[in-house]
Amino acid sequence: MAEAATEMVKLTIDGVPVEVPKGTLLVEAAKKIKQEIPVYCYHTKLGPAGLCRVCLVEVEGMPKLQIGCNTPVADGMVVHTRNEKVESGRSMILELLLVNHPLDCPICDKGGECDLQDYAMAYGRGASDVADPKQSKPKGVDLGPTIVLDEERCVVCQRCVRFDDIIAGERQLVVKDRGHNDIIATSTGDPYRHNFTGNVTELCPVGALTSKTYRFKSRPWDLNRTETSCTQCAVGCRQFADVRYGTLVRTMSVENDDAISDGWLCDRGRYNIGYLGAPERLTQPLYKQNGQFVQIGWDDAFALWAKAINDARAAGKAVGALGGGRLFNEEAYLLGYVMRALGVKNLDWRTGRQLQASPGANASYEALENASSIVIAGDIAELAPVLWLRIIKAVTRKGARLVRVGACGAAPGFAHTDVTNAGEAAQAVAAEGGVAIVWDGADLALGAALAATFASRSPLAYIASEQSNARGAEAMGLLPTDGGADFTKIAADAANGAYGVLALFGANPLRNAPNAETMRGALQATPFTVVSELFMTESAQAATLVLPAKSAFEKSGTVIDIAGDLLPVNASLQAPVGALSDLEMLIGLAQQFDLALPTSEELDAAVIARAAKPLAAALGEARYATSEPLAPSSSRSIWDGGGTCAHDDRIATLRREPVKVGA
Amino acid sequence: MRKQLYNVGAILKGLSITFKFMFAKRPTIEYPSVKKQHAPRFHGLHELRRYADGKERCIGCELCSSACPANAITVIGAENTPESRKSPGERHAARYEIDELRCIFCGMCEEACPTDAIVLTPRFEMADYRRGSFIYAKDRLLVPPEAGVGTPPDERPNGIPADLGRVAEVKSTIDITAGYGATHRGEILKTQRRGLAG
Ligand code: SF4
Ligand code: SF4
Ligand code: SF4
Ligand code: SF4
Ligand code: FES
Repeated sequence: MAEAATEMVKLTIDGVPVEVPKGTLLVEAAKKIKQEIPVYCYHTKLGPAGLCRVCLVEVEGMPKLQIGCNTPVADGMVVHTRNEKVESGRSMILELLLVNHPLDCPICDKGGECDLQDYAMAYGRGASDVADPKQSKPKGVDLGPTIVLDEERCVVCQRCVRFDDIIAGERQLVVKDRGHNDIIATSTGDPYRHNFTGNVTELCPVGALTSKTYRFKSRPWDLNRTETSCTQCAVGCRQFADVRYGTLVRTMSVENDDAISDGWLCDRGRYNIGYLGAPERLTQPLYKQNGQFVQIGWDDAFALWAKAINDARAAGKAVGALGGGRLFNEEAYLLGYVMRALGVKNLDWRTGRQLQASPGANASYEALENASSIVIAGDIAELAPVLWLRIIKAVTRKGARLVRVGACGAAPGFAHTDVTNAGEAAQAVAAEGGVAIVWDGADLALGAALAATFASRSPLAYIASEQSNARGAEAMGLLPTDGGADFTKIAADAANGAYGVLALFGANPLRNAPNAETMRGALQATPFTVVSELFMTESAQAATLVLPAKSAFEKSGTVIDIAGDLLPVNASLQAPVGALSDLEMLIGLAQQFDLALPTSEELDAAVIARAAKPLAAALGEARYATSEPLAPSSSRSIWDGGGTCAHDDRIATLRREPVKVGA
Repeated sequence: MRKQLYNVGAILKGLSITFKFMFAKRPTIEYPSVKKQHAPRFHGLHELRRYADGKERCIGCELCSSACPANAITVIGAENTPESRKSPGERHAARYEIDELRCIFCGMCEEACPTDAIVLTPRFEMADYRRGSFIYAKDRLLVPPEAGVGTPPDERPNGIPADLGRVAEVKSTIDITAGYGATHRGEILKTQRRGLAG
C-alpha cells in the first residue's frame, strides 16, 4: 500500500532492542525477537480481545502487569516477558483457567498440540490451591453436523465466536450464560452450520471444539504430514494432509498461508476426505460386455482402447476427449499431447456451465482485499469459498463496496447492491479506487460486458471455476483450438452416432453438465466410451471401459488456481492397488501406438511455460468457439461438483444434490 | 618324578571340586516340570485390566504406545456410544495390540497408563511356532470379566496383583492349566496349542 512511510518506534523487550511500526502490539513485536508471549484469546487474524490475560508482561513505569496482546508499543518502552513478576502473574492466570478444566488430555483430540497443555507445562505451577471440586458440564455436545463441543474444556477465549462474526460473517456462535456457567452455543439453538465451521476447531486453543470426522481417530504424534494444495475447488488453499496407517484422517490449514488461503479452509476442503478409503472405490479396469461390466487387466484395457481408436479411424468415425478440469496440469498437458499426436482435435475441458477459465491478466488474492469495489457475477460464495472470505474481509473490514450482478446465490448478511447488468454495476461501484471483478466464467456475454464497462478502471479480474483445475486444463490446451469440435458439438454429434471413441477424464457430465441429456445420448450412441473415475459415477455406468483413477491425494503434480498461481500438489497417500493416475493411463495408451512422449523435464518445462500466460485476452473473450451457450446456473453449493462427498456417511447431512438448470 | 606327583595333587584338587558339586544342591531346575520363583516385580506378559463393573479401564489414549521404547504397541481409539459402552467416558480402544516379540518388557507402558489399564504380569511362557501369534490383541490381553479386577499396581503387596494371586502362588510350579488357564489369554494359548497338536 502506498501510504506515507510508517513511523517506527524503538523499544526494548527482555533487554533486546526492537524497532517496529507505530501501533504494533507487544505480542507481535516480541515475535520479531523470537520471544514468545503466550496467548489464548489473541489471534493474528482475529485481533486482541483481552479476555484470557495469559499474555501478561511487565512494562517498566506501569504499576501493574499489562496484557501484551492489547498494549501497543511506545517509544522507549522497556518490556519484560520473562521476569519473576510476570511468571507469577501468568501462573496465577493459568491456575484460574484450570480451575474447572477437566484435564482429560488422554482422551482429548487436542492433546499433543494443545496450547493449554503447552503453556501449563511452560508457565504453570503444576499444582493448584483450589480445594473445591471441579464444576462438571456437558461433554461431547453435538454442535452441528461437523463439530463436537466439550463445554468443560472451554477457556472462553471467544476465538470461535469472533471467527464466526469477523471472518465468516455468520454470527451463529455466542457465549451463553455468564461466569462459571458460560458455554458456547449457537444463538438460535440451531445446529452450527455454514461453509467454514471446521476452522474453529483449529482456532480453539484447547480441545473444546473438535471435528466429528477426526474424533478419536489419532493422536497428533502419529500423523504423517504432507503439505499440499487442496484440489476440491479452484481456490487451491494450502493444506496439510495428515495420514495415519494409510488413511487420510484430517486436513489442516496452513496458518501463515497469506497468499492463497489466508490461513482458512472451507468445510469441503477439510471434511470431504472420507471418500478416499470408501469401499466403492474402483480398483480394476472394467469392460462392458453384453451390458455387464467384467474386470480386466490394464494391458487388456489399453489394447482395447487402442483398438477402438484404430477401428474408429478405419470406419471414418470421429474420436474425442472431454474433461480435464479435475486433472493436474501435467496430465492435462499429456492428454492434449497424446490426443493431438493421434490426430484427435475434438478436445474440450468444458463439460459444465463454465466456458472460460483464464481472465486477461493475473491478479493475486491479496490484491482483491484492497479493491474498493468488488463486482461479482455468479454464486462466488459457493464456487470459491475461501476466496469469499477475502471478499467478506474487503467489504466488512476494509470498506469495499460489493455489487452483485445477476443471479449470485443467497444474499450475504452484509451491505451489498444487487444489479441486473454491467451498466447498472458501473453506477453502483465506488467512484474512486480499484475495481475487482469476480465472475463464474459461465455467461460469456455478461463477462464481456463487465470487461468493457470497467475497462477504463483497469479492473482486477478473477474467474471462479467450477472445476478445480479448469484453468490448468485451459492453459494446457484442452481446447478445440485447431479446428476441432467443442463440447456441445461433440455431444450433439456423438448423440447422432458420428463418434467412434469418446473419452472422459475427470468429468461426470451426466451428473453435472447442463446438457446432460445430450451427453447421455452421446455416450449411448458411441460404440466405445472410456471414463477414468474414482467411483462408478453416472457417466462411468454409461461407459464401455471404466478406468480406476488415483485421487488427487495419491499423486503429485501441479494445478493453477483462480489467481493464476502454479500450485504444487503432493501425494500424501498410497493409492489403492490397481488404480493408476491419469498420467499413467495416458502413457499406457501412448505405448500402444509407440508414441514418443516428452521426458518428465520436457513435461515440467511445458507446464511451466503454459501456466505463465493466461489464454484469453479479457473476460468473456474466450479464444475458442462455443457453438451453443448453455444456461448458467444461479445457485450452487460447495458440495456440488465431483460427487465424491456422496461416499462418506459422516458428511451426509452436508451434501446437497446439484441444482438442475431450470429447476 | 616329584614334579609329576605335584601334578597328581593338582588333579585331585580339581576332582575334589568336581565331586563336591556332584553332591551339592543343584542350582539348575528341571524346567518345565519344576518352575522357579520370580522376583515379585518380574516384568512378563501384559494384561489389560477392567473396572469392578466390568468396563475396560483402557481409554485408547495411546500414551502407552508413545511411551514404548520398542514401538511394540498399536492403539486405535474409538468413541463409546450409548449402545456400545466399552469403557467409562467417551473413548475406548477399538484395537489394542502388543507385539511381544518387539517388547523388551521394560514396563514403560504401565508407567505411562493414566488408568492403570495395561500392567505387566509375572507370566512369561509364551513360546509359539508362529511370529503372528506373538501379536497379542485385545482378545488375549483383556482379562475376562469373570476374572475380577484386582487392585491397581501401586496398591499391590509386593507388586503382585491380587487377581493374579493364584498365578503368584503357583508360580514355582506353574502348570499350564492353573496358571495361564486362569486368564483369557491362557484359554487362547491352550486352544492354539491344541490346534497345533491336533
Ligand atoms: S470453544 Fe474454544 S475457541 Fe471457543 S471460546 Fe471456548 S476455548 Fe475459545
Ligand atoms: S476453498 Fe476450495 S481450495 Fe480452499 S479448502 Fe475449500 S475446497 Fe479446498
Ligand atoms: S513393556 Fe516396554 S517395550 Fe514392552 S510394550 Fe511396554 S513399554 Fe513397550
Ligand atoms: S493402556 Fe492405558 S495408556 Fe494405553 S491406551 Fe489404554 S488407557 Fe491409554
Ligand atoms: S491473549 Fe491477551 S488477554 Fe488473551
